[in-house]
Amino acid sequence: MSSTTTRDTTKQHVADSDIKLTVALLGNPNTGKSTLFSAIAGIPTRIGNYPGVTVEEKVGQFRHHNTIIELIDLPGTYSLNSKSPDEEVAVDVLHGRIESIGQPDCIVVVADATNLNRNLFLVSQALAVGRPVLVALTLCDVAESKGIQIDREKLSQILGCPVIRLVAPRHDGVDELVESLIESSEKSGQTVPASLNSRLAKAANSNRSIASAEAIERYAWIDEITKDVLSVSGQQIRSLGDRIDGILTHRVLGTVVFALTMLAIFSSIFWLASPLMDLVSGCVEWTAALAESVMPDGILRSLVIDGVIAGVGGVIIFLPQIAILFLFVAVLEGCGYLARAAFLMDRLLVGVGLSGKSFIPLLSSFACAIPGIMAARTIENRRDRLLTILVAPLMSCSARLPVYLLLCSAFVPDVTVGNSWIRLPAVVLASMYLIGILVAAVVAFIFSRTIFRGPPQPFVLELPSWRWPQFAVVAERVREAAVSFLKNAGTLILAVSIIVWALGSFPRPVLDAGVNPQSAEQQGEALRQSFLGQAGHLIEPVVKPLGWDWRIGCAAVASFPAREVVLGVLGVIYNLGDVDPGEEEGASMLIRQLRAATWDGTDRKVFTLPVALSIMVFFALCAQCASTLVIIGKETASWFWPLVSFTYMTALAWVGAFLVFQIGTALGW
Amino acid sequence: MRSLASVPIGLTTQVIDVSGEDSVSLRLLEMGLTPGVEITVVSTAPLGDPVELELRGYRLSIRRNEATRVIVAT
Repeated sequence: MSSTTTRDTTKQHVADSDIKLTVALLGNPNTGKSTLFSAIAGIPTRIGNYPGVTVEEKVGQFRHHNTIIELIDLPGTYSLNSKSPDEEVAVDVLHGRIESIGQPDCIVVVADATNLNRNLFLVSQALAVGRPVLVALTLCDVAESKGIQIDREKLSQILGCPVIRLVAPRHDGVDELVESLIESSEKSGQTVPASLNSRLAKAANSNRSIASAEAIERYAWIDEITKDVLSVSGQQIRSLGDRIDGILTHRVLGTVVFALTMLAIFSSIFWLASPLMDLVSGCVEWTAALAESVMPDGILRSLVIDGVIAGVGGVIIFLPQIAILFLFVAVLEGCGYLARAAFLMDRLLVGVGLSGKSFIPLLSSFACAIPGIMAARTIENRRDRLLTILVAPLMSCSARLPVYLLLCSAFVPDVTVGNSWIRLPAVVLASMYLIGILVAAVVAFIFSRTIFRGPPQPFVLELPSWRWPQFAVVAERVREAAVSFLKNAGTLILAVSIIVWALGSFPRPVLDAGVNPQSAEQQGEALRQSFLGQAGHLIEPVVKPLGWDWRIGCAAVASFPAREVVLGVLGVIYNLGDVDPGEEEGASMLIRQLRAATWDGTDRKVFTLPVALSIMVFFALCAQCASTLVIIGKETASWFWPLVSFTYMTALAWVGAFLVFQIGTALGW
Repeated sequence: MRSLASVPIGLTTQVIDVSGEDSVSLRLLEMGLTPGVEITVVSTAPLGDPVELELRGYRLSIRRNEATRVIVAT
């Protein structure tokens, strides 16, 4: 924002003498609407969902002289006709049916100059809403470089509303737009051009549905007026963008570039995030140490350190991964690559009942299901989005990796497979990931043929022209994702952590006299006598068919809110005390202990290869993550779907573990 | 007359109509596949589905089974 602007986007104090205006920002996706929003109103003052739906509401506020303007960024839509939740919300807002907003005083329709023809469709519909309309022509620089010339004055005359030229990244035209929209708001309404009206009247007499007939008439009208208004001069040289597209959607090259890009994103989420995660983890440990030194010994201290800090800290550590993932997604979306990725992957995903747009959310879930599920917002189709959210947690996330690694190195014989150089533990590790993918494919397939069966949804996907992603928009997406994640950590996850801590700490253990309560044995005993331990005993009959003893059952139950804790709990329950299985020494101690573990009162070993495999399969398929369930609830605006996720995944996990154990034992592994 | 799905890559033709009366046909019409518009089949994804089209100055991707609804000039 230049210093000469008269717009003040800081938090506004509204005086009685101020004029208050509500302006709706409408437009097709990929027109630079978000960039324009940032350029006019800065950071949104209100973000959330519209009541009762999962459509995002984004409102900003700014002052221009003595006018306070509330700018509503409506979801990108191609038409005001269709039934998708995004489009319904846009229509509701425009007609003033959303109470918290009221009817807009003026509608700004953002139109892409490189694509005026199709963009005018939405403009023609907006003209009929009844509020004054203003057309903001974006991407004018790109259009001009392609030789596209638009006679704005003529267009403005024909439409009956102002048409402003914008080059939003440089904020050219934004001041003119703001002044023009204040002027427009003073008009009493908007008239639809007579030429359009007469065509629409014809549509009413057609055999087709009104919507179809009108769509055809609208485009006929648009084709007529653009003859006078639009001209493409000079030879259309294959632009750089076209040549890039030639490579990126090419059958072979395109797929290669795509695979490399996905690999880059995937690995960055792991190794790029690593130093940041260490930083966060360091801070968490420092806080724990501080609490330990400052607070007197006792229940409160245990609550703070083992409950709050351990629980919330264990989740916050994923913040860097989430931020990095959203950074990539925002950049790919901003430059236009996301659409091409969906295009390449669509056929494969349709085969299992999903769609191309599910690809990035599912890929991201390999790092952590939470950002993956949040990324599913890019899927407009409600059914596809829901299905994607339901299978995303089956993609083995990074929290499962420590479990796999420990059990594989402890119990899978380190031999080579056949005559190759491939080692068995690596094969088992890869299989765990594959199991998640295969089960997800089957689940998606079944769900899409049963509960989610319905009429085919259009896959119509625009492949936007290549453009530089806008920094402001990218930064905004990352900020939004991070803030919403932290808010969750601070509320629901905090609550869950405290509950788990309580279940593991009460009732207070009856200890042997004269024994140090902090010793490893006593900590183990304390856990065994707590509610959590009792729960482990209670469910032993349920986990015995999986080959588990009550201690493994207890650890599994304890890890339901957050699977990361399972190794720590196993350590405590096997009397290792506060050993850190993440550290080499801790891991080898734990491995030794597990290998030596026997069934209560017998010499029979608990951990055989089939048992280890059944534990891994259970973890691969089970929904042991309260944070994920919370996010699913938020993204689907219900408690029903998290319940469904939890239920079906736990059932699958049990069955999978059972099969693996029984078959493995029968085969003498 | 034939369907858009049978048009080979690189060819430009004209849309005659979109068959059916459901959300798919309406969406196709709203995106500009209206009678008379010039349309080019630019490419397809590796497995032949979806197809990439160019019309009205922009690029659109639709599935093969959606393309069969679009009737174009021979």
